[in-house]
Amino acid sequence: MARRHIETLLLLAPAVILLLLCFVVPLARLFSLAFTDEAGPFATFAILAESNVYRRVMVNTFLVALAVALITVVLAWPVAYILTKLKGFWFAFALYGVLFPFWISVLVRTFSWMILLERNGPLNRFLVNLGITDKPLALLFNDTGVMIGMVHVLLPYAILPLYGAMLRIDQRLLMASDGLGAGLFDTFRRVYFPLCLPGLMGGATFVFLLSLGFFITPALLGGSNAITLSMLIASFINDRLAWSLAAAASLVLLVIVLALLAATAKVLPFGKGMYAK
Amino acid sequence: MSKSPLWLRLIAQISAGLVLAFLCLPILAVIPASFNQASFITLPPAAYSGRWYEAFISDPEWRQALFASLHVAVIATIVAVVTGTAAALGLHRLTGRSRGLLTGFFLAPMIVPVIVTAVAVYRSALDVGLSGTPLGLGLAHALLALPFVVINVGIALRAVEENWLRAAAGLGAGPWRIFRTVTLPNIAPGIVGGAIFSFITSFDEVVVAVFLAGYANKTLPVKIWESIRLEFTPVVAVAATLMIVLAIVLFAVAQLLSKSGKKQPI
Repeated sequence: MARRHIETLLLLAPAVILLLLCFVVPLARLFSLAFTDEAGPFATFAILAESNVYRRVMVNTFLVALAVALITVVLAWPVAYILTKLKGFWFAFALYGVLFPFWISVLVRTFSWMILLERNGPLNRFLVNLGITDKPLALLFNDTGVMIGMVHVLLPYAILPLYGAMLRIDQRLLMASDGLGAGLFDTFRRVYFPLCLPGLMGGATFVFLLSLGFFITPALLGGSNAITLSMLIASFINDRLAWSLAAAASLVLLVIVLALLAATAKVLPFGKGMYAK
Repeated sequence: MSKSPLWLRLIAQISAGLVLAFLCLPILAVIPASFNQASFITLPPAAYSGRWYEAFISDPEWRQALFASLHVAVIATIVAVVTGTAAALGLHRLTGRSRGLLTGFFLAPMIVPVIVTAVAVYRSALDVGLSGTPLGLGLAHALLALPFVVINVGIALRAVEENWLRAAAGLGAGPWRIFRTVTLPNIAPGIVGGAIFSFITSFDEVVVAVFLAGYANKTLPVKIWESIRLEFTPVVAVAATLMIVLAIVLFAVAQLLSKSGKKQPI
């Protein structure tokens, strides 16, 4: 038996060492920098909390993440529903449609949106030609652009948990509700929707958490007009070499993410629901 | 709702179709953009030409970026597959609490925001002299790819029945022989799936790479990232198109493998 234990340890050791040396230790070292400011151990956090600019960045990050989570959940609904109804070729077609974007680099997808949303880009020309607007809309380098790009990138993360939840719903419950005389709307409101709720909340939480830490898409589509927390962290390092501030902001971001994750761990179908088939 | 009315089904189908179009079609915009004749991106192009493909191939910086990406992705894939497969085998032998805790530990790089990981790894890489080297970036990417390998191989391992192993042992096979002849063939699709996912994770990754790549070792995404901010020429669309083509090829390979392996979650 002892031999088996040693084997198990040897199997686990390489990954544990990789994670410790390249992940845990670097994170611990970074976070320790947050407390090394000359003005005192918590001076960096005080700077972050007291500055109007940084506060606005935090609020903006939260609002964008919240809006993105709400929009993705609404858009995810019809796709998740249709996935539970389709069969054969059309099912595969729709499922690949959801999974395919996962495989394309976020950078490439964001770049595509830059081309499409440009001032003289195809979308603006289309809107002008239709007469919806007289002059081109500012779709790029503001929160609108950031939200379009982020909804696009994060939508599959909302669809898959919702689809998983819908798939697990026992169809007989709906028939029972129908048989007992409930109308379509009542069945939806009192049976179907509550049963979808875990998947819905799981997807929304997942999208919200990913949005909070998003960097590439807001940096390219928002620019300096829509700064998020992750862009602030990058700018602390690249523009100001302010490692202690970057470390403090990183710690704040991670603590927020972990706290939200812990709070919603019960509804989050992490692992199981994500890839339910 | 086995008998939902026609109008409801129609609304669901049309809106689902629109959302799926929103999900897939915009990605393809870079492909026609890459065939622009002009020296700036217009969509649709006024005139088509392949001159930006020639520009891409003849520019040593772009070629080098492509090579650096492949180099880093190979390192990341090897490290992630070896450590991740061993870890999945080890986890499979554990039970109860220790298994859950360790699984959570291995999946942690998925949960920590990438910008935080990037900054932390960058700082430590600077201190030990690994910043700007393919090895440093490869190790960082292996970290991000590890969860995919652990999950993929873990799922494949569930299909290996304990009875087969007992039968092999009863027939006199040693542990190594059992692994080689029973376990490995059954989890091979999971390992290959994990490897493909690792490769694409590294090849597509840009946040860690922007910090860690350095001047001499820019990967393709880093070069694209810098070029987007400096100029807006169609050569960036060429690079983006190449990344899409590679992703589609790997996606197709993974799908074919999952057909033979059945229980792949990709």
